[in-house]
Amino acid sequence: MKKKKIFHRRKVCRFCVDQDMVIDYKDVRVLKGSLTERGKIIPRRIYGTCAKHQRQLTDAIKRARQIALLPYAGPYIGPY
Amino acid sequence: MRRYETISIIKPALGDEEIGAINQRSISIIEGDGGTILNTDKWGLKTLAYPIKKEQQGYYVYMDFGATPAAVTEMERQFKIDDRILKFMTVKLDDVFDPAAIQAQADAKAKAAEARAQKRRDDDNDSDNDSED
Repeated sequence: MKKKKIFHRRKVCRFCVDQDMVIDYKDVRVLKGSLTERGKIIPRRIYGTCAKHQRQLTDAIKRARQIALLPYAGPYIGPY
Repeated sequence: MRRYETISIIKPALGDEEIGAINQRSISIIEGDGGTILNTDKWGLKTLAYPIKKEQQGYYVYMDFGATPAAVTEMERQFKIDDRILKFMTVKLDDVFDPAAIQAQADAKAKAAEARAQKRRDDDNDSDNDSED
């Protein structure tokens, strides 16, 4: 018999639940929710985003980075 | 003809006239090659996520259009030469450019969103009724 019992809460992809939330590289507000403070993409095991939407999300974030809407690394603090 | 969208970041220190002239030039390149501009949008001055060419801010201009690939390469060539443009990005949205289809798609999307909103309202009402019973 197992001693430890781990309870999992079923995570649901928030983009599947809310169909009105569209992933677009121009819409920084949506993308920011999937980034760490340092600007890294949060893996899907954390939020439970489905594979399809996580893929769209990473593509969108990478595009937004190219055009300087999102940082590649960390918030820019400035040259002292 | 393909459908593209372009975002260009222009140096912030320029006046409105100069920014307008740069836009006009890209528009004339596209239209000169038989393209159509669907929408241009000046997002205005934004803080950049990282400095580009020592600039902290940039003037964003967005353009949605249908054009030939040759027109896009020509426009990008001009962008590269012009040092007033900090950065630009063109994304291909569709392989075919058909204004009627774009309109139809936009309508369908709006309708679907409306239907979803309606359904949500109905569901809310249903749950209200359940609790009353």
